[in-house]
Amino acid sequence: MESGDKVWEVFIQKKPGLAFKHVGSCHAYDKKMAIQNARDLYTRRGEGRALWVVPADAIVAVPLDDSEAFFDPGDDKVYRHATFYKTPDGVKYL
Amino acid sequence: MDLTIKNNEAKFLVRLADTSLILGQRLAEMCSNGPFLEEDIALSNISLDLFGRAEEMYKIICDIEGNNFTPDDLVFRRNEREYFNIKLVEQPNEDFAWVIVRQFLHDIYVQEVYTQLLNSENSEVVGLAQKVLKEVRYSYIHSKDWMERLGLGTEESNARVQSAVDHQLKYIEEIFAFDELDKTYLADSDQLRSVWENDVNATLAACNLERKEIMPLTMRDFRDGFHSEHIGHLLSIMQYLPRAYPDAKW
Repeated sequence: MESGDKVWEVFIQKKPGLAFKHVGSCHAYDKKMAIQNARDLYTRRGEGRALWVVPADAIVAVPLDDSEAFFDPGDDKVYRHATFYKTPDGVKYL
Repeated sequence: MDLTIKNNEAKFLVRLADTSLILGQRLAEMCSNGPFLEEDIALSNISLDLFGRAEEMYKIICDIEGNNFTPDDLVFRRNEREYFNIKLVEQPNEDFAWVIVRQFLHDIYVQEVYTQLLNSENSEVVGLAQKVLKEVRYSYIHSKDWMERLGLGTEESNARVQSAVDHQLKYIEEIFAFDELDKTYLADSDQLRSVWENDVNATLAACNLERKEIMPLTMRDFRDGFHSEHIGHLLSIMQYLPRAYPDAKW
């Protein structure tokens, strides 16, 4: 599509009170078109009762190149995991 | 097989069912031909709504007629002159503006028709009308939105939507030439016209579009099974398979 076309991320809430879940994306020129396109693409089979669309460029993401620095789980540092610690006698319901 | 519809209520309802079916077929032709993916799917969704609506209406008609034939018989085994849709909906998909204008003019009309059918004495018709109104409300939002976008868009989009309006308004007059059946089964046929006129005039004005004077046309009535030249081609494509292979199963 020509200029003005943007990608929007689509989120659906299944029932009131539940978290909105990311379901995919759609193309649209503005907010109104985005919500209609999202409705036509993602909600025709009772997927939910509420819909959000967010311009994809409004979402801040970790640059792919930095992912190692951001997400290194530190597997060598065993003390980061709860299982490293012994459960004292007498502690219930843990 | 005799597919003549004899009961008066069924004769009235088949006009609505056929209008729904033929527009559904026209929109189905847009599948994979939409201007972009999302709009392609939107048009296909509306097409499916129209087919569903027609099927439910044909079931009601078949019941009234004693189930001597099925909805499939009505759809695939009738010829042009046995179809009773308004001529507006058989107009071709000349370009996207035509698709939108046709949809918009149709949506206002059926929205009021089904609103009035909420007062029908036939409970099945009332049930169907309730369901249809939800669908039509969305379709109307969609078509009106595009009327604004195209009307207020570029010079090119405005010119295209204006030419679609000029052509399709020719097929409106017959809708409001009500006969006794319309007057019997619609709660208020005069109101149908005034609601339609008000909305169309307001929308065209708001979208920078003109409603031009239509020269008087001699056009025979859709209620008697008359059509524009386009219906034959539409039916020949829609009915090809069951006509060529009458024993074919879904």
